[in-house]
Amino acid sequence: MTELDPIERLLPATLRAALARRELIVRRPVAGARHGVHRSPRPGVGRDFRDFRAYAPGDDPRRLDWRAAARSQRLVVRQTESEDELDLALVIDGSGGMSYGEGVEQKWRRAGTVAAALTSLALRQGDRVGFAIARAGGLALEALEPVARRDRLRLLGLGLADEPSGDCDWSALLDALGPSLRRRTLVVAISDFLDPGGSSAGEEGAAREHDEALIRGLTSLRSAGHDVALIQILHRDELEFPWDRPRVIELEDPRGRRASVEGPGGSLRADYLDKLNAHLRWLEQSCERGGLLLARLLSDREPAPQLLDLLARLAGQPGDAVMREGGP
Amino acid sequence: MSLLAPLALLGLLGLSLPLIAHLLGRERPQTIRFAGVRFVRPREPVVTQRRELRDWPLLLLRLLMLAAFVLVLARPVINSEAAVAVLAEPHDTVILLDASGSMDLRVDGKAEHERANERLDSLLDAIPPGSRVGLVIADPRAPEVELTPIAEGGPRIRAAVDAWERGEKLPPRAGAWTMAEALPRAATLLSEAQELPRAIYAISDPTERGLGSLPELADGAITVIPVSTRGAPGQPPPTPPEHVGIRELSWEPALELDPKAVRITALIHRYGGDQDEDLEVGAALEIDGEEVARTRVKLRPDGDAAAEFSHTLASTGAGVRARVSLLDRDDDPLPIDDRRHLWIAAHETIEVLVINGDPSVTRANDEIFFLSTALRHSELADSLSVRGLALDQLEDRLRGTQNPLAKVDVLVLANVRALPPELAPLIVERVAAGMGLWISVGDRVSATDYNARFAPLLPLLLREAVYAGTAPGRTEARSEGVAPAQLSHPIFAGTLRGSSEAGELDLGATRTRRMFLLEPDPRRGADIAVAFTSGAPALITRAHGQGRVALLTTTIDRDWGDLPLRPGFVPLATRTIAWLAGAQNPSSRDAVGIGVAKQLGRSATYSVTTPAGASVPVTPKREGEPAVFEATDLPGHYSASANASGDEQASAAGLERFVVEFDPREADTTPVAIRGVALDGETGTVTIYEPRWRELALVVLLLLGIESGARLWLRRRRTG
Repeated sequence: MTELDPIERLLPATLRAALARRELIVRRPVAGARHGVHRSPRPGVGRDFRDFRAYAPGDDPRRLDWRAAARSQRLVVRQTESEDELDLALVIDGSGGMSYGEGVEQKWRRAGTVAAALTSLALRQGDRVGFAIARAGGLALEALEPVARRDRLRLLGLGLADEPSGDCDWSALLDALGPSLRRRTLVVAISDFLDPGGSSAGEEGAAREHDEALIRGLTSLRSAGHDVALIQILHRDELEFPWDRPRVIELEDPRGRRASVEGPGGSLRADYLDKLNAHLRWLEQSCERGGLLLARLLSDREPAPQLLDLLARLAGQPGDAVMREGGP
Repeated sequence: MSLLAPLALLGLLGLSLPLIAHLLGRERPQTIRFAGVRFVRPREPVVTQRRELRDWPLLLLRLLMLAAFVLVLARPVINSEAAVAVLAEPHDTVILLDASGSMDLRVDGKAEHERANERLDSLLDAIPPGSRVGLVIADPRAPEVELTPIAEGGPRIRAAVDAWERGEKLPPRAGAWTMAEALPRAATLLSEAQELPRAIYAISDPTERGLGSLPELADGAITVIPVSTRGAPGQPPPTPPEHVGIRELSWEPALELDPKAVRITALIHRYGGDQDEDLEVGAALEIDGEEVARTRVKLRPDGDAAAEFSHTLASTGAGVRARVSLLDRDDDPLPIDDRRHLWIAAHETIEVLVINGDPSVTRANDEIFFLSTALRHSELADSLSVRGLALDQLEDRLRGTQNPLAKVDVLVLANVRALPPELAPLIVERVAAGMGLWISVGDRVSATDYNARFAPLLPLLLREAVYAGTAPGRTEARSEGVAPAQLSHPIFAGTLRGSSEAGELDLGATRTRRMFLLEPDPRRGADIAVAFTSGAPALITRAHGQGRVALLTTTIDRDWGDLPLRPGFVPLATRTIAWLAGAQNPSSRDAVGIGVAKQLGRSATYSVTTPAGASVPVTPKREGEPAVFEATDLPGHYSASANASGDEQASAAGLERFVVEFDPREADTTPVAIRGVALDGETGTVTIYEPRWRELALVVLLLLGIESGARLWLRRRRTG
C-alpha cells in the first residue's frame, strides 16, 4: 500500500477544492514588509480607496486625482489601502492529549488539517508562515521563523506526520515564539486546551494557574499587536462522555502527568461534564476578555465547513463571540 | 474427634476459589487514554491501585464460614466411650426403644431420648447387610416396624421414630410401657425368624426400670443387647445429674381446723446431690388455677422432705383442682415430675354409722350412748351425721343392698360380735376403698372370730381380754391408767405439747379395769395413739388400702372403765372420728400413670374432659363392660361425665374425676451397671459417636450473621 502523501493526508482533494477560491483575510490591519493582500495600518499602494490629501511636492503625479482637483480647485492625491503581507505563526499542541480519536476523527489529524489549510492559503497569497510543534516535552522550532517558501507546507506535513505524545510545554513554546515575531502576526494556537499544564497531583488550583498562564501569554501577544486565534479541537467523546454504564473504566492521562482514574462510567459522567463545561466557559470568558478569537471544532465534523467558518471569522464577519460547533 | 465423611474435606480446596476469583476474576476495566482526566473525580473510593486485595477481614470471615460449612459436611464426631457389641454377621434383630419418662432427663444439655436417637442411627449404620431389622417403641400406641431387610428397614425405622416424636398421629408419652413390659412384643416380632441369629438391641438409660430391668435372654433364646444412652457395658455407670421431683401428693380433711379445711402434703425427693450441701426448694399450691400458698423445704442428698399446705375450701361438694408445683426449678434436668395434681372434695357431712353391739333401754348402759353424746357435743357436731344401727340391722343392710356402705364415711363397731363370714369381707372391702372403721371391744367381741374375719383390718390381732393387774408384770393394781396421748400420732396432728388442746386430751385420771391384749407384730405397721400406763395399746390404728382402722382395746362405754366419763373422751372421740373420716376419698385421689388406660365406673358412654380442655367421647367396647379411657397422654385433671342427659342428679352421680400422673418410679435415675454381652458367632463392636456437626452448624449460622453485619457496616462507612 502506498503511503499517502502527508499533504494529501492533511488536505484531501475535496478540501482543497473547497478552499480554492478562499483567502485568508484577517479583520485587523496587518503591517507586512511586502505587499500582500491584507489591510495595512499604513496607506500605500493598493487597490482600495482610502482618503484624499493635498498634493505635496514629491508625490507620484500618477496618484493625482484630477476629478477631485477639479472639484476642489486644488491638487489632490488619492490615497489607497496598502496591501501588506501577513505573517502566520502556527503553534501546535503535539501532546498525547491530541491523539484521541480514530482515523479522520482523530484530533491530531484535524489539527493538522486546520494548520495545513491555513498554511496553504497563506502561502498562496504570498504570506509568510512559520510553525512550531510542542511534543513529548520538547519543541520543534525549526520552522518557527515565518517565511513565504512553498516548502513550508511540506515541512508542516512532515512535522505533523509523527503521532502526538507526551506533554506540551506551552510556556517554553510561547517564550520561543515571542522573539520570532518581528511584526504583526496572526498567531494561531491549535490545541484542545483541556489541560495545558498541571501538576501530577491533579490539584485543580494548580491546573487553573497553568490555564491562566497560557491565556496571559497569548494575551500578551495580543497586547503586543499580534492577532491571536485559539483553535480548540475536541472529540465528541470529550464533550459527551459516552461511558455511562456501570462497567468500570480506567482513564489514563495521555500526557502522562496525572494518575489514572478508575470507576464505573456511570458514576463519573455527571461530575466530569460539570467540570468540563465550567472549564470551557472559563476559556470562553478569558478569550473574550483578552480579545482572543476562540474557535471550537469537533473532530467528527466535516473540515471544509469548519474552515470556511474559521476564515469568515478571521475576516471579521459577524457571528457568535465564540465560534463553536455542536459544543455544550 | 474424627470425621464420618472425611472426603468432604476436599471441599476445603474450594476455599481458594474466592481468592482466585477475587484476584483474577475482577472485571478488567476498559482502559481509555483520555485527555479530560483532569475533570474526572471518582465518587466512590474506587481503588486506583492495581489488583489490591481489599476488605480482607470480610474475606477472612467468609473463608472461615465456608471452612466451617465444609467441616459440617464432613460430620465430625467425638468417639463416645460406649462400645456396643454388634453381630457382624447377618442376623435378624429388633431395636427396642425406651419411651419412658426417664428418657426426658437432660444430661450435659442433651435429653436421653436424643442420645437414644443417636444410638439408633449408629446401630442402623453398623448392622451388616443381609440382616433384617424391626422396631418396637415402648409405647403401645407407637408405630412398629416389622422385620425388613436393613437397606429398606433402616430408613423406615428412622421415619417411624421421627413421626412418633413429632406426634404425627399420636403424641409420645412417657412411661406407657416399661422396657420389661415391651420386651415380649419385641420377641414376638422375632418369633418366626429362625434362619439367622436373632438379637434385640435395647436402647435405654442405665436405670433400674430401663436397661436394669431387662433379662439376658428374651423368650429364653433371643439375646438382649443393652445399648445404654450413657456409659459403657461392663463399666461403672456415670452419675446422672441431680434433680428434684414430687414423689407423692395426698390430701386429707383438716377438720380440726375447719369443716372445709384440707391438708395437702407433697413428698419431695432429691435424687443425687452433693453430700455436703442441703438444697432448699420452694413449692406452691394452686387451687383451681390460682396460687394460694407457698412453702420451702430443705432436702438432703437422696432425701425426702414433706411440704404441707393447709387450705380452707370455699365450697364443698364439687371437686376442686389442686396442683402443687416446685418453684425456681427451670434448670431441673427432669421437669416432668416437678408438679402433681389432685382432685379435692370437702365433705359436706361426715356420715358416721355406729353399730350398737349392746343396746340398752337405760341410756347410761347403752353401748353407744357416751360416744353419741360426745360426738353431738363436739366441735364437729355440725359436720357429723351420726346414725345408729343394731347388728341385725347392719346385717340386713349388708345382705340386701348393693353398695350398702357406699355413703358411710366412718363405721363404728361398738362391742359388736363378729359379722358372719360372708358379710365381713364387705366391711374389709369398703375399708380398703376408703371408709374409716373404729372397733371398740367388749364382752361380745371374740378374739378368735375377729381375728378370723377382720384380720386384714386389725392393727394387731386380738389375743385375750384381761383384767388390769393380771397383765404380765403387773400383779397388784386393779385398774390401769392411761398414759398421755402420743401427740405425734396423726389423730392429734396440730396439737402441741403443753397447749390447751393437749390439756383437753388429758386422760390421766382414767381407770380401766379390763382391756384386750394384742399380739405384737411390727410387720402390721400399727401405730399407737394412746397407751395404758403399762404400755399396752389403748387406742391403736392402722391403714388398710385407702381406709383407716382404729381399735380401742377397752369398752367405749362404762363397762370396763371410766374412759367415757373423762373430759378428754370428747376430743379423743372427735379426733378419732375425724381422722378415720380423713381417709382418702377414692373418687378424688384416683390417679393413673401416663399412658395407662383408665377404667371408668360404669358401662355407659362417657365424655371425658382432658387438661387441655378437649372433650373425648368414650364408649364401652362391649356391652356390659365398663368404659375404658385410653388417651391418658397429658398429666393433669380429667373428669368423666356419663350419659350427658338432662337429669342433673344422674349426671352428677356419673361424674368421675381422676388425675393422670407421671409414674414417680420413672424419676429414679439412679444408675445401674450395665452388663456386657457375650455373643455367639461373629461379633464386632460399633463405637457410638457423639455428633458435633450440629454445634458447627450453629457456628456457621453465627458467622453468617456476623458477616452480614460486617458487610452492612463497611458499606455504610464507605458511603459516609
